[in-house]
Amino acid sequence: MSDSINTNARRVRVSRIALYAILLLAVLFYLLPLIVMLLTSVKSMADIRAGNLISWPQEFLLDAWVKAWSSACTGVSCEGVGSFFWNSFQITLPAVLISTFLGALNGYVLTKWKFRGSDIFFGLMLFGCFIPFQVVILPMAQTLGWLGLANTTTGLVFVHIVYGMAFTTLFFRNFYVSVPTELVSAAKIDGAGFFTIFWRIILPLSTPIFVVCIIWQFTQVWNDFLFGVVFSGGDTQPITVALNNLVNSSTGVKEYNVDMAAAMIAALPTLVVYVLAGKYFVRGLTAGAVKG
Amino acid sequence: MATLEISSVKKNYGKVEVLKGIDLSINDGEFLILVGPSGCGKSTLMNSIAGLEDVSSGDIHIGGTNVTGLAPKDRDIAMVFQSYALYPSMTVRGNISFALEIRKVPKGEREAEVERVADLLQISHLLDRKPSELSGGQRQRVAMGRALARHPKIYLFDEPLSNLDAKLRVEMRTEIKKLHQRLKTTIVYVTHDQIEAMTLADRIAVMKDGEVQQFGTPQQIYDDPANMFVAGFMGSPAMNFLTCTLECIDDCYGLSVTTSDEERYFLPLQHGDSSLQEWIGKEVILGIRPEQITHVIPHKQEESSVARFTAKVAVAEPTGPDTLVLINLNGQEVDCRVHPMEEKPAGSDMEFMVDMSKAVLFDPKTEKRLL
Repeated sequence: MSDSINTNARRVRVSRIALYAILLLAVLFYLLPLIVMLLTSVKSMADIRAGNLISWPQEFLLDAWVKAWSSACTGVSCEGVGSFFWNSFQITLPAVLISTFLGALNGYVLTKWKFRGSDIFFGLMLFGCFIPFQVVILPMAQTLGWLGLANTTTGLVFVHIVYGMAFTTLFFRNFYVSVPTELVSAAKIDGAGFFTIFWRIILPLSTPIFVVCIIWQFTQVWNDFLFGVVFSGGDTQPITVALNNLVNSSTGVKEYNVDMAAAMIAALPTLVVYVLAGKYFVRGLTAGAVKG
Repeated sequence: MATLEISSVKKNYGKVEVLKGIDLSINDGEFLILVGPSGCGKSTLMNSIAGLEDVSSGDIHIGGTNVTGLAPKDRDIAMVFQSYALYPSMTVRGNISFALEIRKVPKGEREAEVERVADLLQISHLLDRKPSELSGGQRQRVAMGRALARHPKIYLFDEPLSNLDAKLRVEMRTEIKKLHQRLKTTIVYVTHDQIEAMTLADRIAVMKDGEVQQFGTPQQIYDDPANMFVAGFMGSPAMNFLTCTLECIDDCYGLSVTTSDEERYFLPLQHGDSSLQEWIGKEVILGIRPEQITHVIPHKQEESSVARFTAKVAVAEPTGPDTLVLINLNGQEVDCRVHPMEEKPAGSDMEFMVDMSKAVLFDPKTEKRLL
């Protein structure tokens, strides 16, 4: 009797060890690119030439990071990616906040203030999620020209808001479907109007879906390259475009350590957002998806 | 507090008629209950009174004012929802004072009003909690508190007790009745529970398929149902419906029934008159409530409305205060309510008496009242 319990326990322990070993391997495999990038970015050029891709650095140097930030050449100018990093913030913050807010408003209307044809309206809006970036480039360039927003940060923000709204509307609409409509009825009887109900009743319930939406939009807008390269002027380019320019403008030697450091700088904000709010992301997604 | 008048209100969803011309009116301070099976239109009617849904035609007057085209907030009503619909992000205090805040009532008055309502409903100790920290019964009280916080003309209750467990439901039912007696407010209350309807209402409107089947006091509805639907819906256990043939013996109208032992009995009708002439020899439906078929009560058995018969007990179900005995008449099951002391075990013969004074007759085709 106790023998069988013992063997059983041992079998469980062995399978546990095997499981964790496999998981550990998988983690290593997925982390490998990041490790290579980090290691390369702190090596000196001599170090890179001497060793192989995953060899340990001879000494840890932050020179490449400093150069990438402030003095690496991106095309003709040699001022690093620092200023473009701030450009990206100037583009991303308003684009994310405005598109998320509009998505919340759309979702509120499409679920709690339904009008004739509102479901068709939502269906058509969903098309926006399936349209590839490339399709909208030409018409959007023309529109921005008419609006006098060509090659400006405002113009690029506008493009991101329009393109992002389909997704944010989808998120909020699906979340608000599960918010009981009786809440809105009760507020109407209490005398509250359209915006009062939105501010006082609906928005305070929306934290999880706001987190999801902000993470999603932040990642999309920050990582965007195509809209950035097409619609922004030289000084207002986002960091993704600058990174591309930095990697492509070589002056004789290919400085892998600087390239890697610049890439890390470009990826840092999205990494931070995920680390800080990642658990809300999963929670919020399921909160929207599962009714009740 | 105010009167409520609903005149020929209709509501269509596309081609589906949900309300087919409703006429109801109640006086100041009356408790109106809309009762009916699900899908009968009672909630739609309630939402139309509240202004949450527009009516297709007809008028609604509250306190003499035509409110048909007005928004909910301009109708001066308060509503308690089935799901309570408490604002999750606000405390109980916030929930109760929200409507006052929207209506720009000064802070001092608001606080006084919250205190008054909280005292009335005994929820003062809960004022700083969020709805998620309350039990079902507490949430129900808060929902009522929110409605009571203003002094609207009419209170609307949409199945407010249906999410509570059985015991709490009975308690809250009594509380609502007490509250109404104290505040003398006009209340419209939707329920599908006929006991709630009987116990609470001054007037009941029994609804089915978007029409009011009968509108009257609880006792009228119970004793004098307009048709088979109302008779069957109100009362638990339900009224017995017995298909039998109308006969006339020596100018006395009555019905003959046959027990499972092939014994024939004649049940004389109390109020039979010549209007029943054309039904002699035809099948009619006798409606008789279980409490009118009892064991033989000595001091009653000599009354003229009483008939006696012996039948075999098929099933006996004790409920405590009395026992429900199932017998067979004309091949149909009939519920009788007897005193537990007089109860006979299943399979044995038992003597019953029927009080025919409250018996009713229905047309088997139209299901309308004949007598």
